[in-house]
Amino acid sequence: MQEVSQGNLDAMTLLFERYHKWIYNFFYQMVQDKGVSEDLVQNVFYKAIRYRGSYKGGKFASWIFQIARNISSDHFGKVKKKQIEVVVDQIPDRTDDQPVEATEQVERLRIVMDRLPVAEKELLVMSRFQGMKYKQIAEVIGSNETAVKTKIHRTIKKLKVLYFETI
Amino acid sequence: MSCKENESQIIEYVDGTLSMEASKELEQHIADCESCEKTLKETRTLLEDLNTMGPALPSDALRISFLEMLKEEKKLQEPKLKELKSDSSLSWKTAFQIAASLLLLVGGYLWGSHAKNQEVTQQISLLNQEAKSLKQDMTLALLDNQSASKRIKAVNYTEEIVQPDTKILVALIDRMNYDANINVRLAAAEALSRFSNNEEVKDAFIEALTTEKNPSIQIAVIEFLVKVQDQRARAPMQILLEQSETPGYVKDHVNEGLVSLM
Repeated sequence: MQEVSQGNLDAMTLLFERYHKWIYNFFYQMVQDKGVSEDLVQNVFYKAIRYRGSYKGGKFASWIFQIARNISSDHFGKVKKKQIEVVVDQIPDRTDDQPVEATEQVERLRIVMDRLPVAEKELLVMSRFQGMKYKQIAEVIGSNETAVKTKIHRTIKKLKVLYFETI
Repeated sequence: MSCKENESQIIEYVDGTLSMEASKELEQHIADCESCEKTLKETRTLLEDLNTMGPALPSDALRISFLEMLKEEKKLQEPKLKELKSDSSLSWKTAFQIAASLLLLVGGYLWGSHAKNQEVTQQISLLNQEAKSLKQDMTLALLDNQSASKRIKAVNYTEEIVQPDTKILVALIDRMNYDANINVRLAAAEALSRFSNNEEVKDAFIEALTTEKNPSIQIAVIEFLVKVQDQRARAPMQILLEQSETPGYVKDHVNEGLVSLM
């Protein structure tokens, strides 16, 4: 990234190859829509190129992830208004002694994850899908490791309740 | 151990990040706690199910549109690169032109700086003056402040001013004679005793000697007048000695002063 901020745009291709899947996955888990996620990733790299001058060294992953988070929160800000309540009846039951089809399971998880507040969902995605350590998450959201850990544990508990709720 | 607290440990246990010791303890607890056993079961199922969600892969369209965008950005950069190129292939003629203009520039600068030098020193002294008068104005304003401690501060500021003008001196004399707070008055008297050559200050102290009723100020005044050897102080000091309300220790100072004035 040092090179990119000094004007070597070709180095950006390398960074794209290394990070675009990781960032795509973040958006995909957040918004659950392939097309939208791709647009948002494109947006992240566009901003990264535009604002390359603002990169002041440090971990590139944290820097670009920060851009991704901003774009994600912009996106949720826009979507919020038209958000429709998930109809609870559509959620298939999940009980632990009755094996469920993998796709159905995933579908149910998606739906309950959508019922978490965006900030909690974001923490969960960062820790469970992005393979980020509590420390790195704390760096990105400007908090400390212990607080992040507590929040994520609380989110998992909440998700568990939603997941096993019998309807 | 309450079972609520265990939840967090259970998550770490399933993740395999809980220490051996704590894991053993937890296992023991779970063996005879039904609700924790259920929590463990559910947590494990949830985290495993989360793992099955796996990573999603973007389509190739993303890479294609990224490369397109990069191309666009590069186009925006290009004009700058061209400029650089033409600079690097300098002909001898332009080299001479540049050398000549540099010479002119340096020559002009040297000539100009010589002419400017005087102007600059003038400007600096003007600025210094302005800064000084600003400081004086601020001090004057602060001397009228409501708070006694601020006034004392202002009195102390006057000591930083090397040659205060009469306005400051008058204000200080005012503080010495009439301030409501005795500490401010003493500080003002002390600040004024710096100006042993100033006639105005001496006059003020002579006057204070006859009018002053506060013993602390009286002593400060006597000390100053003795230090500057002002003979005019003798008559008012004699009067102080004869007055019955003058405290004994002030009279002692007067006696000592009179001896050294003789």
